[in-house]
Amino acid sequence: MTVTATAPAAGVVAPASSALLCVEGLSVAYGRTEVVSDVSFSLERGESLALIGESGSGKSTIARSVLRLLPDGGAARGRVEFEGRDVLALPERQFRPLRGRALGFVPQDPGSSLNAVRTIGAQAQEAAALTGERDAGVRQQLILDTFAQVGLDDPRRAYDSYPHQLSGGMLQRVLIGLAVLPRPALLVADEPTSALDVTIQKRILDLLSELRADLGIGLLLITHDLAIAAERADSLVVLRDGAVQEAGPTATVFAAPSSAYARELQADVPALNPDRYRALREGRSPSAPAVARSVDLAVAGGAGLAVARDVDSVAVRDLDPVAVRSVDPADPAATAPVSPPVAASEDAPDATPKIELRGVTKSFTVEGRRLTALDGVSFAIERGTTHALVGESGSGKTTAVRLLLGLDQADDGEILVAGEPVHGRSAAGLRAVRRHLQLVYQNPFTSLDPTWRVEQLVREPLDRFRIGGRAVRAGRVREALAAVGLAEHLLSRRPAALSGGQRQRVAIARALVLRPDVLVLDEPTSALDVTVQADIVEVLVRLQAELGLTYVFVSHDLALVRQLADTVSVLHRGRVVEAGPVERIFADPERDYTRRLLESIPRPGVPDAVAS
Amino acid sequence: MNASYLRYAGRRLVQAVVVVLLAYVFTFVVISVLPGDPVTNTLRNPENGFTEEEIARIVSYYGLDQPIAVQLWQSLSHFLVGDLGVSLRSNLPVTRLVAEVVPSTLALAASALAVALVLAFAIAYGTQNLPRRYGQGVLRAFPSLFLSVPAFVVGLLLIQVFAFQLGLFSVIEPDSAWATFFAAVALGIPVSAQVAEVLITGLDHESRQEYAAVARSRGLGQARLFAKHLLKPSSLPVVTVVALTVGELLGGALIIETIFGRTGIGSLVQRSVSTQDLPVLQAVVSLAAVVFVVVNLLADLVYPLLDPRVRTEPASASGKAGLGEAPEQPILERQVSVP
Repeated sequence: MTVTATAPAAGVVAPASSALLCVEGLSVAYGRTEVVSDVSFSLERGESLALIGESGSGKSTIARSVLRLLPDGGAARGRVEFEGRDVLALPERQFRPLRGRALGFVPQDPGSSLNAVRTIGAQAQEAAALTGERDAGVRQQLILDTFAQVGLDDPRRAYDSYPHQLSGGMLQRVLIGLAVLPRPALLVADEPTSALDVTIQKRILDLLSELRADLGIGLLLITHDLAIAAERADSLVVLRDGAVQEAGPTATVFAAPSSAYARELQADVPALNPDRYRALREGRSPSAPAVARSVDLAVAGGAGLAVARDVDSVAVRDLDPVAVRSVDPADPAATAPVSPPVAASEDAPDATPKIELRGVTKSFTVEGRRLTALDGVSFAIERGTTHALVGESGSGKTTAVRLLLGLDQADDGEILVAGEPVHGRSAAGLRAVRRHLQLVYQNPFTSLDPTWRVEQLVREPLDRFRIGGRAVRAGRVREALAAVGLAEHLLSRRPAALSGGQRQRVAIARALVLRPDVLVLDEPTSALDVTVQADIVEVLVRLQAELGLTYVFVSHDLALVRQLADTVSVLHRGRVVEAGPVERIFADPERDYTRRLLESIPRPGVPDAVAS
Repeated sequence: MNASYLRYAGRRLVQAVVVVLLAYVFTFVVISVLPGDPVTNTLRNPENGFTEEEIARIVSYYGLDQPIAVQLWQSLSHFLVGDLGVSLRSNLPVTRLVAEVVPSTLALAASALAVALVLAFAIAYGTQNLPRRYGQGVLRAFPSLFLSVPAFVVGLLLIQVFAFQLGLFSVIEPDSAWATFFAAVALGIPVSAQVAEVLITGLDHESRQEYAAVARSRGLGQARLFAKHLLKPSSLPVVTVVALTVGELLGGALIIETIFGRTGIGSLVQRSVSTQDLPVLQAVVSLAAVVFVVVNLLADLVYPLLDPRVRTEPASASGKAGLGEAPEQPILERQVSVP
């Protein structure tokens, strides 16, 4: 317990009687494990407060305690006063009428938060019933109006659909609609946008702000995204391991974070630190991978995760002290365009692009309709550089990657790897291409077989390609593990015994073990916490510098793309609408679509909350 | 009921018919290749005193001198128009023999299924809605208890208590309503155990899902949550289990029929096996195949109605959903190093 928000100096707390929500000394335990310890904060009507923290910080547990939705075995102590009544002490019969009517909940994962076997309309009717409206027709109109209000283009279709027929963004809007429909006094939103595209994220956040302003709803926002909190919340509570690290008005916390943890968090957010990885990337030298590999072995071979990370950080500081400074969000220089970091790759001796797509077209037939996923897409990637594919869901990013990996066949056009066409190869030829093209999958929590040990997971590709004998394979596994900075004693662990960052390192090691030239990174950090994310990005940057890898980087985190990629293709409805060097596209976008994407990057420092 | 569902139903129906035909052919072939041709055995039995000419005439009358393919074709074409041949023992048409016993067995099996479902859903409801202190633990023990007591023990117990001691039904009128009911209880209890087990597991799983918590946050109470949200998804595996237990119901029916002294398919099969009455056996096996196929067809047809996510279209090249903003599809379900 370091700091609590109960101190009047924090400026968050008004007398308990007038506050909409007042949490005092809340602790939550599962059995003997305490996951939330003595947390206090309060929230006024019409205000917004963000609970910030990484996974395991207890932020969702606090939200669920307020809503009394803790899973079996969870026990909350302390006081949670809502409109002057202690909700923890209320019997269920008296608390139930508050649910929905006074306390709205927007859950985190839109995909699993609606009953898959019932229509959205049927579930919306449950929320509409809370308004006390008796006429079914009026209730339905109310639902459709709310759906339109939350930005669903076709409310009628959403009403009649089953959840699986809508996209994540649409479902999230449905869930927000269901939560606000009964006009609650308090809305608890648990990561309401973490599953969404940036443009939709912006719309949803705008919507929540509007609702707050129009209806005077108090908003308790749970998020791991500092940039969002900075942009949208009046006050912040920073949590770590279930305890409050820092609390106060957003502007104060951001201008002068007093706790070490808040400073670290701030330093790791790409949107707040446009130069974070620049120094590392400038250290890249694609021409000398072999030397780098041996150096790398020496550095990371005996080192654990934490040590390896420290080594990186030290290296960063040595190279460029500017890169690790804590950036003032209001500082205009921080958001100014960065100078081109690409020079090294453009001077590369080999002029043939490592990867080239020429007029690639692919369409699918869905429910009798022809759907063009990719329409004449062309781009080229130089050896040793990073090319980012950005765009919203459904823009064709995934299809492009699937074609590149040879998982699907293009209808038309050519895909060249190192100047050689992939199309029309024999099965053996394809295998050879794929060996040099490896994929790092988005979610390390689902992409690794939980019953396998790290050693098996990393070795499997070698077994598949029948490379070397036992000793050679064991050596290659250790080498790959060392390259991603994992200690050897982790070899016998199973994924469940690893942290998210360690798992993603295993996934990267698995891709590296075949010594590929190209890594396809499909949102490699989106499932990870900010600090872990920073860690993985550092690993990726370092590997590129040392091994001369070419990256195809699929991401919707544009702040990260800006720092990691050399070139970028902006995809929209299966077409490349804009392509070129990152710094030009980001500084001076030509197309409206690109501009819209870029504007959706949360921009702390600009918003009303901090402007005062 | 949209066009895609009807096409799906049509495809399933065609598949079902093919399965029935294959089952018929398979039984026919198996019976034909088994050693000891019962017809010839019977005819050549000296006790029956047939002359060679009579034997030849009878063999030719039944078409048994034809090649096996021709016999199969004739048998199959008769089967297709509902003619199952003539019993070798009684000279009565097989259809009539079977028709005499089917209603009784069907009544028994159907009421047993009803008993099983009612019991299973009652137990499952209790495990979710009773206060934790009372009942839940006891109820959760019921399925394994039910499974560990054989049907014939339950049957004998029911006869002992309800027929002999309470006099609720008479053992010499095995087709009376009460007698049928208790026979169905004896037959249904083990089946209900399996259904309840699956249902309870499903309900426990569903009630831990995020959507259940979100529905609670909309103010739904336990009872409405159960009825509106949890029951339907939990019933999906029940459909499969019920379709699979039909075989058990038919097999169990033979035992229960014996215990309760009912005439049914059980007694018919027993007689036909002991007398090698092949046309009757062939008919019963085909009937069992038809019942099985029909029940599984029903399960297939019910599934998409319960779960809208079940594809009613044949799998296309890629499973890309097609509405508005298409959901991002994972590049690979599990990360494999693409061989």
